[in-house]
Amino acid sequence: MANREFDVIIIGGGITGAGTARDCALRGLKTLLVERDDIASGATGRNHGLLHSGARYAVKDAESARECISENKILRKIAANCVEDTGGLFITLPEDEDSGYGLDYQKTFVEACLDAGIQARIISPEEALRMEPSVNPRLIGAVAVPDGSVDPFRLCSANVVDARMHGAEVLTYTFLDSFIIENGAVTGVRLLDRRSGVVSEYRAAVTVNAAGIWGQAVAAKAGISIGMYPAKGALLVFGHRVNNVVINRCRKSADGDILVPGDSVCVIGTTSTKIPFEECDDMRVTPGEVRLLLREGCSLCPSLSSTRILRAYAGVRPLVASDSDPTGRSISRGIVCLDHESRDGVKGLVTITGGKLMTYRLMAEKATDAVCRKLGLDRPCETAVTPLPGSGDGRIEAVSRRFSGKPTAGQKAAAGRHGDLTGRIRFDSPDDGALVCECENVTLAEIRYAVKELGVTNLEDLRRRTRVGMGTCQGSFCIRKAAAALAEALGDPSLADKLAAEYLEERWKGMVPAGWGDTLREMEFMQRVYKTGKPYSYDD
Amino acid sequence: MIKFDVIVIGGGLAGMTAATAIQQAGLSCAVIRAGLSLSNPSRDDFVKAGGRIIFDKVCDGVFDGSVLRGVHTGKLGATLLEARVFVLATGKFFSMGLAADMDRVYETVFGLDTEYEEDRSKWFGASFSAEQPFLGFGVKTQDGLALKGGEPVKNLRPAGEILAGISNAGGDASETIRNSALDAAKSIIELCRK
Amino acid sequence: MQEINISDKNFEQCQKCSLCETVCPVMANNPAYAGPKRSGPDSERYRLKNGIFFEDSLKYCMNGKRCEVACPSGVKIADLIQQARIKFSTASPKLRDAMLASTDLMGPLASGFAPIVNISLGLAPVKGVLDATIGLDHRRTLPKYSSRTFTSWFRKHAAALQDSFPRHISYYHGCYANYNYPQLAKDFTAVMNAFGYGVHLIEGERCCGVAKIANGMTEAAVRDAKANINAFRKATATGRDIVTVSTTCTMTLLEEYPELLKVDNSDVKSRIKLFEPFVFEAISSGIVKPVWKEGFKAKVAYHSPCHQERLGWGIFTIELLKMIPGLELIELGSNCCGMAGTYGFKKENFKVSQKIGEPLFNEIRSVAPDYVACECETCKWQIEMSAGVSVKNPVSILAEALDLEKTSELNRA
Repeated sequence: MANREFDVIIIGGGITGAGTARDCALRGLKTLLVERDDIASGATGRNHGLLHSGARYAVKDAESARECISENKILRKIAANCVEDTGGLFITLPEDEDSGYGLDYQKTFVEACLDAGIQARIISPEEALRMEPSVNPRLIGAVAVPDGSVDPFRLCSANVVDARMHGAEVLTYTFLDSFIIENGAVTGVRLLDRRSGVVSEYRAAVTVNAAGIWGQAVAAKAGISIGMYPAKGALLVFGHRVNNVVINRCRKSADGDILVPGDSVCVIGTTSTKIPFEECDDMRVTPGEVRLLLREGCSLCPSLSSTRILRAYAGVRPLVASDSDPTGRSISRGIVCLDHESRDGVKGLVTITGGKLMTYRLMAEKATDAVCRKLGLDRPCETAVTPLPGSGDGRIEAVSRRFSGKPTAGQKAAAGRHGDLTGRIRFDSPDDGALVCECENVTLAEIRYAVKELGVTNLEDLRRRTRVGMGTCQGSFCIRKAAAALAEALGDPSLADKLAAEYLEERWKGMVPAGWGDTLREMEFMQRVYKTGKPYSYDD
Repeated sequence: MIKFDVIVIGGGLAGMTAATAIQQAGLSCAVIRAGLSLSNPSRDDFVKAGGRIIFDKVCDGVFDGSVLRGVHTGKLGATLLEARVFVLATGKFFSMGLAADMDRVYETVFGLDTEYEEDRSKWFGASFSAEQPFLGFGVKTQDGLALKGGEPVKNLRPAGEILAGISNAGGDASETIRNSALDAAKSIIELCRK
Repeated sequence: MQEINISDKNFEQCQKCSLCETVCPVMANNPAYAGPKRSGPDSERYRLKNGIFFEDSLKYCMNGKRCEVACPSGVKIADLIQQARIKFSTASPKLRDAMLASTDLMGPLASGFAPIVNISLGLAPVKGVLDATIGLDHRRTLPKYSSRTFTSWFRKHAAALQDSFPRHISYYHGCYANYNYPQLAKDFTAVMNAFGYGVHLIEGERCCGVAKIANGMTEAAVRDAKANINAFRKATATGRDIVTVSTTCTMTLLEEYPELLKVDNSDVKSRIKLFEPFVFEAISSGIVKPVWKEGFKAKVAYHSPCHQERLGWGIFTIELLKMIPGLELIELGSNCCGMAGTYGFKKENFKVSQKIGEPLFNEIRSVAPDYVACECETCKWQIEMSAGVSVKNPVSILAEALDLEKTSELNRA
C-alpha cells in the first residue's frame, strides 16, 4: 500500500493547483495533487489562452496590470514552448469616440500602461494594418502592446510534469469526499477514486483548496463559508488563424473584445454572466451569446463574418466576494489567499482563488508561502527562474532539427506542442509516424507518448495534451482511428467504441451553438460516419 | 443552349439511380453534379447507356411560369441547359442541396419551399447519439413535385435526401433513397412517353 | 449576421471527407506525395501559423485540378497547394526546369536551329546527355520544334487577307502552336476564316506562364501575365473576343492569373473564349453555318484533359464533334494522362507519369480509334508516345471534316 502521508495536499488540478503543486515540490515538500477530473478540465482549459500584457487592466486596476506584465515576462522565460510572442493591438474604432473611448482615452490608456511598466506604443492605423492585415480597416488609432498567446493545457501539463519530476504524486479522476478534521484542524482528506469507487484516507499537515469556482463547495466541506460568484465566460473558436496578432478594443473592458490567435485557430471572447452554481458543471453557450460574440468579433476583425465557427465553449471565473463587504457587491478580481486558521479558526487549510491564468504562478507562490509558513519552513520560491520542462528551446525550428532526416508535419507539430521534451516521443517503429488526426498532425507516436508519460486515460485527456480532434472536422474523420490507437496504447482495444462515443458527445456539445453553415455540414458528416458506420463507399 | 429530355441535378445515390433508370428507358439524360458524393454510386450503367455526366454546379433556373425551362451552371456561363423534366437530387447539408444560416434553412438552387423547425434550439437532439431533427429537414412536395412560393413546379421532382424526412446520416437509408429515386424516374418516364 | 463561409480558396469549407484523395492521380502512384487534402487545406491551417509547416513534397502536385473537380465543398485545393509553393518554396529552379518552363525563350532559339535541334533531340547519345546532365528523362520522346513559327508564316501568307471577313476575333495561339506545331494554328486560321471570322494576332502576346508557375519562376510568370492582360485589353478594345486553342493556357489565363499570380483579369475574363465553346455557340445560335464534307468517316475517342475537366467545357467539344456526320465518337473515361505539362519530362517523375497514364493508355488501346481527340498539347505528346495512337486537336478535326470552301461561301456575308 502506497504511503499516504504528505506535507501538503492540493485540491484542484487546474493551473493554480498544478502551479502550487510544482512550487511545493520544488521547495522540497512531499506533495499530493488531487483532481476530480483531468488536469486543466475546468476554467484553465476554457479561456482565451491570452498572455496578457496587463494593458487591459492598466486604467482600472494598476495592481493587476503590474502583476500581469511581470508574470508575462516570467512566462516567456520559463514556459517558452507554451507561449507564442504574437504581440497585441488595442484598436480604436470611429464609434468609440461617441461612447467616450476615442483617442483621448487612448492617451489615458497609454499613460496608465507606461506607469504600470507595460511597453505600450501608439502606432498609426496604417502600421497596425501592416502588423495585422485582418484588423478592421476602419480603425482610427492603435496601440501596440506585448500581448501574446499561451496554451493553458500545455502550461498546466508542464507544471504537473515538473511537480512529478520533483516527487509529487498526482491523482486525477479523484474526488474530495470529505476532510479529516481533528481538534478543529484539517489533517487530511478522504478521496474517492471515481473509477474504482474506493474511498481512501490521505494525510497532510496542510491542505490547499485550489478548486476554482468549486472551491466554495470544497471549503464548505470543512464548514467554512466563502462567498463566490460563478461568472460564465463564453468564447467562439474559428476554423483557422484569421489573425496572427492579438486584437483588443481600446475601451472599457466589455464582452467579446479580445481576439486571440492560438495554435491553429483563433478565439473570440468573452462574455460575463453570473450563473447559478448548478450550471458550472454543464455550461451551454446560448444563441444570444454567439450573436454577441460574433458581432463584437467582426468589429475587431471583419473577416470573422465569413469564417467558420468550429465550436463554442464557456468557462467559469471564480469571483470572490470581498470579506470586508458582507453584501457581496464588491468583488475582488485580484488574487485571494485565505488562511482559514486566522480567518475561520480552522487549522491546516488554505484557499487560493481569484486571480487569472496569467497570474497562476504568483498565486501558487503565495499559496506555497502560506503552506511553508504553516509548516514553519523558510524556503525561497524558485518558480520565477526555473524553466518548466519542455521550455529549453521550445521553438519548433530548434526542436524539429533534432529529428534525423527532414522532420515530418507530425514531428513539427509535436515539437510545437511539447517543446524540448519532444525527443521523448519515439519515432522508431514504422507506424509511429502514421498520422491519426490529420487536421492537427497528431501521430501514433505522440499518442503513445501521451499515454505513457502524460497520464492520459480518455480522448478528452488526449485532446488536451495533443489537440487530437480539435481541428476542422472536430473528430468526424479521425476519432475512430484515434480511439482505436488510444485503446491499444491503454492496453485494452475493446475500449475503443466507448472512448469514441464519450468524446463525440463532448465535441457535439460545442458544435451545436455554431450549428449552421459549414459546421452544420460537418455535423451531418459526423452523424453519418458514426451512425451508419461508413462515411462513404467507392464503387468506381 | 444544350437540350436533354431529362436533367438530374446531383450525382449521389438518388441522382444516379434516377438517371440510370431514365437513360435506360431510352430518354436522353444528363447528370449535373458539383463534385463527388459520399454515397458515390457507380456511374458505369448510366454512361454505358449513353448518359452524360457534367461536373458543374447549378446556379439558378429559368422559369416559364410554373415550368422550369432550363438551368445555368457555374462553368457554362450563359449557355442554358434545357430539359423537359428535372430531378433535384442535391441531398442535404453536406452535399449543399440545403444550406442553413443562423436563422433559416433554404434550398440552394431554386429557393424551393423547405420544411424545418424555425426555432433553432429544436434543430438538434439532446446529445450526439440522440435523433437529430435537422436531418429531417428538406424541401416540400405536392404529388411528387417541388413547391416554390406555395405553387408546384410542374416539371421538377425532388428525390432522395433533399426531401424532408429522408436522411442517410442517422442510419442506413439507402433503400428509401433508391425507392424515392425510382418513383421519380417512373413518373418521369411515363410523362415523357405520353 | 454570418455570411456564407468564404475563406481564401474556400479552404475553410473542407469537411475532411477525403473524396479528393480518391481522384488524385499522383497520390495513387507516388507514396512521397501526401495527397491533396493533406497538402492543401489541412496543411494550410498550419502554414498560417508557421511557414515551417511547408512541405517540400508539394512539388509532386501536378496541378491537374482533378481534386477541385471532385470536391463537393468547392475548395480550390490545387490552388492552395500552388499558392503555398509560390509563397514558401525556397528551391530555385534548376537549369532544366528553367529551360522547360521558358517555352517562349527556348522556342525562338530552337526554331532557328530546328533541323539540328530536332535531330539531336532524337539521338540516343544526346538524350543520354540530357538525362544525365539536366534530368530530362531519356525515355521521353521530345517534342519537335518547327523550323518556321506560326507567326512568321501568318504574317507572310495570311495576315493581309484577314480584314476582308465580316467578323473578327483575336487569336491567342500560345507557345506550342507557334513553335512546335504551327499546323494547329494554320488549321485554326482556316476554320475561322471559313466561318467568316478574320483572325488577328494579339500585339505583344506572351507565353501564358503556366510552366513558369509550375517550376517556381513566379516573378517571370507575373510579368507574362501582366503583359498578356494589357495586350488583351488593347485587343478587346477593338471589339474582338480572344479565342484560344489550348485548355491549359486558357485555364491559366482565366483562373491562375487572379488566383495564384494575383493579376487582375476581371475586365477581360469574359472575353477570353476557348475555340470549342466559341464555335459551338456560334453554330447553335445560327451565327455561322457549317458545311460538312461528304463521306467523312472517322472513329474518334475523346480524351478530356485535366484542365478541360476543371474548366468544365468538355461538353462543348463533345457536342461539336457529335455534329460531324460520319464521326463515331467514343468518350473515354475521365483519367489523367500523367504528363501534366513539364512534369512528365522530368527524370524523377517519368515512372510515375507513365503509371498514372496507364489506365488511359489501356482504354485507348482497347477502343482502337483512328485517332484521339484532345484539346491539350502535352496530353498529345504523352498519348502518342505511350499509347501509340495519334492525337488531334478538335480544331484540326474540324479543319478536316468541314468542306472549307462551301463553308466559306455560306459564311462570307
